[in-house]
Amino acid sequence: MKTMELRLTVNGNPQVWDIAPGDLLLDVLRREGYFGVKRGCETGECGACTVLVDGKAINSCLMFAAQAEGREVVTIEGIAQDGRLDPLQEAFLDHGAVQCGFCTGGMIVGAKALLDRHPHPTEDQVREALSGHLCRCTGYKKPVEAVLAAAGRKEAAR
Amino acid sequence: MFDQVEAFCRPASVPEALRLLQRGKGQARIVAGGTDVVIAGGGSIRVLIDITRAGLNYIRRRPAGLAIGSTTTLSELEDSDVVRKAAGGILVRAAAACGSVANRNLATVGGNLANGSPAADMATPLLVLDAQTVVAGRFGRRRLPLAEYLAGATENRWGKSILVELIVPAPPGGKRCGWSFQKLGRTAADISIVNVAAGLQIDAKSRVKWARLALGAAAPTAIRVPSCEQRMVGRILDAGLIAEVAEEVSRAAQPVSDVRASADYRRQMSLVLAARALKECAAQAGVAI
Repeated sequence: MKTMELRLTVNGNPQVWDIAPGDLLLDVLRREGYFGVKRGCETGECGACTVLVDGKAINSCLMFAAQAEGREVVTIEGIAQDGRLDPLQEAFLDHGAVQCGFCTGGMIVGAKALLDRHPHPTEDQVREALSGHLCRCTGYKKPVEAVLAAAGRKEAAR
Repeated sequence: MFDQVEAFCRPASVPEALRLLQRGKGQARIVAGGTDVVIAGGGSIRVLIDITRAGLNYIRRRPAGLAIGSTTTLSELEDSDVVRKAAGGILVRAAAACGSVANRNLATVGGNLANGSPAADMATPLLVLDAQTVVAGRFGRRRLPLAEYLAGATENRWGKSILVELIVPAPPGGKRCGWSFQKLGRTAADISIVNVAAGLQIDAKSRVKWARLALGAAAPTAIRVPSCEQRMVGRILDAGLIAEVAEEVSRAAQPVSDVRASADYRRQMSLVLAARALKECAAQAGVAI
């Protein structure tokens, strides 16, 4: 099997990994221990594998790992800062927006991208951002409430 | 899935990408956003050529209209003020209808067309805007009307060339114009069951001066429906004309039955969406129906 070198930053840490040229980013991240990036549908529909690449939410199951060369990747493991949960994570806990948790990492990463761009989103914008994240147990009402609450909390902290 | 792949190339220019494609001897595949290529699977692909770093990511205003680089993502189209202001924003509306945010951050406008799907949401508004494609190959660069490009993409005729740019001529402007993009899908993020794009210009006497109508997911490629356009020009835009044209659209459809919808349903919905699109165009152009 041929391999190639991949240089990228994951959650702020520079990494150099050996990958196969046809590897998908999802597979490489999980192989390297980022298990918060979930393997769901593998067709870009469920959103469980969502990560940020240069600040944009993408489906890591649809991106070749080699396309992340030189990019900054953030996974759910990199959302908390210095041991403190992100306001989004706090809000998901407070609002009971987590049951089995399989979709949660992707949802929070997707919501993070939204709030970074639109700190005061409308409910419609939140629903649009979460529409690519399928949840089969919690439902969507509580996650939407949690994201809106996190946006408010950020405001209060300022 | 892509375990036969021996090399992943990230060419910095189109000529370099073309050289790699030639050298790939039919086992090389161009990839941009990957949203279609990954799902199609690896098969016998030995070389992947990522063109997202080949300088094809741009939206430029030209005297005659817009030039859009083929690897511009659908999100970038949505975020572009220039694209939002052009033709009532129908390109933005179509881009926003292509899957989820995370899909659109990857998917490119060129990929949407090159994939050769009859349901490509970008194809119908681009047909309405008389878009041309620029294709690069061993022959150099060639300009092709979008309809011709789409036919070739469906038949997989562009294997050794690369779609590099879309040219969108400046459409008719002014207050008496209207534009619409209508999509019907199983969910907001799903592929179109049917989609329709339309553009109208109305004269001072409420007669149709210019008309474009395109239908997606209801024929082997997205198609313009010239018979409808001709039927409208010179006539007063009213409910009767809209009903007549919508009927004509459903006759022009050549839909298939698949997992999403039956051919009959697609045909019926092409009529419904065409009527909605024309009503929206009329409202924007200030015509009371």
